[in-house]
Amino acid sequence: MNERQLIVGPFNRVEGDLEIRLEVRDGAVASAQVNAPLFRGFEMMLPGKDPRDALTITPRICGICSVSQSSAAALALADAGGIDMPPQGRIAAALLHGVENMADHVTHFHLFFMPDFARPGYDGRAWHDRALARFTAMEGSAARRATEARAQLLHIAGILGGKWPHTLAIQPGGVTKAPDAGERVRILATLRSFRRFLEDSLFGAPVEAFAALPDVAALESWESGDAGLFQAISADLGLEGTGIGPRRYLSAGAYPLDTGRVSASGVWEGGQITPFETGAITEDLSHAWMLGDTAHPARGLTEPDEDMADPGYSWCKAPRLAGRTVEVGALARQVVDRHPLALALAAEGSVRARIAGRLLEIARLQILLEDLARSLDPSAPFMAPAPWPRSGTGAGLVEAARGTLGHWLRIEEGRIAGYQIVAPTTWNFSPRDVTGAPGPVEAALVGAEVRPGEETPLSVQHIVRSFDPCMACTVH
Amino acid sequence: MSQIETFYDVMRRQGITRRSFMKYCSLTAAALGLGPAYVPKIAEAMETKPRTPVIWVHGLECTCCSESFIRSAHPLAKDVVLSMISLDYDDTLMAAAGKQAEAALQDTIEKYKGNYILAVEGNPPLNEDGMFCIVGGKPFVEQLRHAAKDAKAIISWGACASYGCVQAAKPNPTRATPVHKVITDKPIIKVPGCPPIAEVMTGVITYMLTFDRLPELDRQGRPAMFYGQRIHDKCYRRPHFDAGQFVEHWDDENARKGYCLYKMGCKGPTTYNACSTIRWNEGTSFPIQSGHGCIGCSEDGFWDQGSFYNRVTDLTQFGVEANADKIGLTAAGVVGGGVALHAAVSALKTAQRKSQKTKTKDAASKSKEEV
Repeated sequence: MNERQLIVGPFNRVEGDLEIRLEVRDGAVASAQVNAPLFRGFEMMLPGKDPRDALTITPRICGICSVSQSSAAALALADAGGIDMPPQGRIAAALLHGVENMADHVTHFHLFFMPDFARPGYDGRAWHDRALARFTAMEGSAARRATEARAQLLHIAGILGGKWPHTLAIQPGGVTKAPDAGERVRILATLRSFRRFLEDSLFGAPVEAFAALPDVAALESWESGDAGLFQAISADLGLEGTGIGPRRYLSAGAYPLDTGRVSASGVWEGGQITPFETGAITEDLSHAWMLGDTAHPARGLTEPDEDMADPGYSWCKAPRLAGRTVEVGALARQVVDRHPLALALAAEGSVRARIAGRLLEIARLQILLEDLARSLDPSAPFMAPAPWPRSGTGAGLVEAARGTLGHWLRIEEGRIAGYQIVAPTTWNFSPRDVTGAPGPVEAALVGAEVRPGEETPLSVQHIVRSFDPCMACTVH
Repeated sequence: MSQIETFYDVMRRQGITRRSFMKYCSLTAAALGLGPAYVPKIAEAMETKPRTPVIWVHGLECTCCSESFIRSAHPLAKDVVLSMISLDYDDTLMAAAGKQAEAALQDTIEKYKGNYILAVEGNPPLNEDGMFCIVGGKPFVEQLRHAAKDAKAIISWGACASYGCVQAAKPNPTRATPVHKVITDKPIIKVPGCPPIAEVMTGVITYMLTFDRLPELDRQGRPAMFYGQRIHDKCYRRPHFDAGQFVEHWDDENARKGYCLYKMGCKGPTTYNACSTIRWNEGTSFPIQSGHGCIGCSEDGFWDQGSFYNRVTDLTQFGVEANADKIGLTAAGVVGGGVALHAAVSALKTAQRKSQKTKTKDAASKSKEEV
């Protein structure tokens, strides 16, 4: 038997630092350990501070999904204080958050995921020249176009939030910015030009056509745009059979409006969708360099183990739902929202399913953003009075680009007494738990092909990146 | 030494035309506040000088600086600067991965010994021998020291590298430490902000690549051309401050009218940055324009000054605005005395400007010595 150990990392083109330890046996990954080697201790800094400061501090966990963090903090504070946003405040907050999620998806596809297919390891493949021209890191024509389109899209975050990243406008009582009629028109015009980018470059067809794909056969016959290029690559490399996740999907439901969340909340397993019981979340610390017991985040503590003792191997805690791993992200959201194509891909749970789920979400999100912008009413209030609670507890759950993000907060005597954050990549990139069950990515890597002499196996790159890791959020 | 290509070579290789190149030179001159006479100088420098390589490393941070940087307003400037950097080392954007990437870093250090600029995003945590931030199996602080040893100069991007930023908030669990406290024997330019404005980042790096020296720095080591004025000085809501018109609650009528956010905790009066002039997201807006006060993210220690929503109370260093509440009330209440008050204010301001000028001069001479 041919055995070796590989340490893959540091990973480039991901947010934050990531290292993966692989046991390779007979040309395939036998087991994997994911390590998040960057720890800052946000949950240790927040206690003692003015609760409102969470709105400024938590977004700085991550420079790529800061609006998600700020939305979750605002919802947790609103929950603790019994504060309600006016309907237009919710629309503006959803628009701001949706724009960030869209920017993240587009960045992931063009700058983080696709450039791996331009590597020399794929010389001679029928699609390689096209991948080279379109996606060579920082030089490919699609990569450039996407960077530009994304910068323009983020003007909307500028209009509604003053600046991006690290936007401050979302508050528990609403949004500090009430857009005027002119700004509403600018937002709509910006979305129109972003639609052009999606339709010319990414899909090569109307977004409605991609959003309406009914099943896997229809996806497989999609040829236009870079989505078509991905489909060709995926078919050639068999990406529908690699990187199989836990095939249990969680979504808290995205974009809370006064009419309810825009996308459904729930848990998918084996074809059944059941309600998401937030009380069933625990964070297991058995394999994290953390001291303390397994606990629900409302009661959890963050105490790093300075000895970094075995069997710990990561700063990342291991969140579990009813004791089991779940996958979160665009695919999970689309599955739980019962989109037919996503439901057809749910049981596949592969690299292809994840990328297709993200493309599907891009198409549907474009339509949603346009609807939200059209429903902006500059004459209505965007902010309601928000008295600050002296004590209380609250939870704020949102859907970041990469999946479910939760903030749990306790206020005592007007100060933060406890603050715990479970980020999407904490779910997906968690270490093993007390039963020895590996985290979703660790499990998905088992069986990945490692060619002779490969030090940074291509298959491992694709699998890891298909989850769109955001390591800065994972361990905060 | 082997032949190292010039900026112009690199740009031509990237498919940039002569015409675009000249346009870039005049934009650079404008961005840096230099007159048209500098355009040929910049062009000549770029045609004849060897390219300055840049190594970009990441410590404890959230990558918001890179995020800001890649959205810089002028696509040409961004492309040019990015293409210069891409040749060397940046782990967020480059193509290489894993060991290959580590090797690229080592190659760049050796090839351009003493000649490259080290751009640092984030900072090293020093507790537990640096184990809270591990890059390639080693603490980041080691990578930083290693890369800094043969660097010509260091850019500290953002609040993290410059001052520590939020991860250094009490109790600073990891002992996140700004770069200049770890590297003490190299010229360091601080470009603070969380993140810094994209145009400020490209402006600073273009200046350094073009002129092969640091721009004029203030006493804190920040480029004076971008950090010479307070947000307050150029804030479009300033007339409301002077008139004593303030937002009292997020949802009040005054908020709708765009009154001054001072009472909502705006730190504009004590924050030196270019947000109110250059603005964000390609000149779209800045926090005050979205109805939220400035949090002072380009100032040292902004994360531990009490609540972000406490109003600035200590304005003594700015003379006349020692107590802005009082000024506001006086201006609104005593209409008759307004003229006299205004005269007094102006006189004081002139005095203050003079003292600031002197400070800048001191700083300028100091920065020249350092380089």
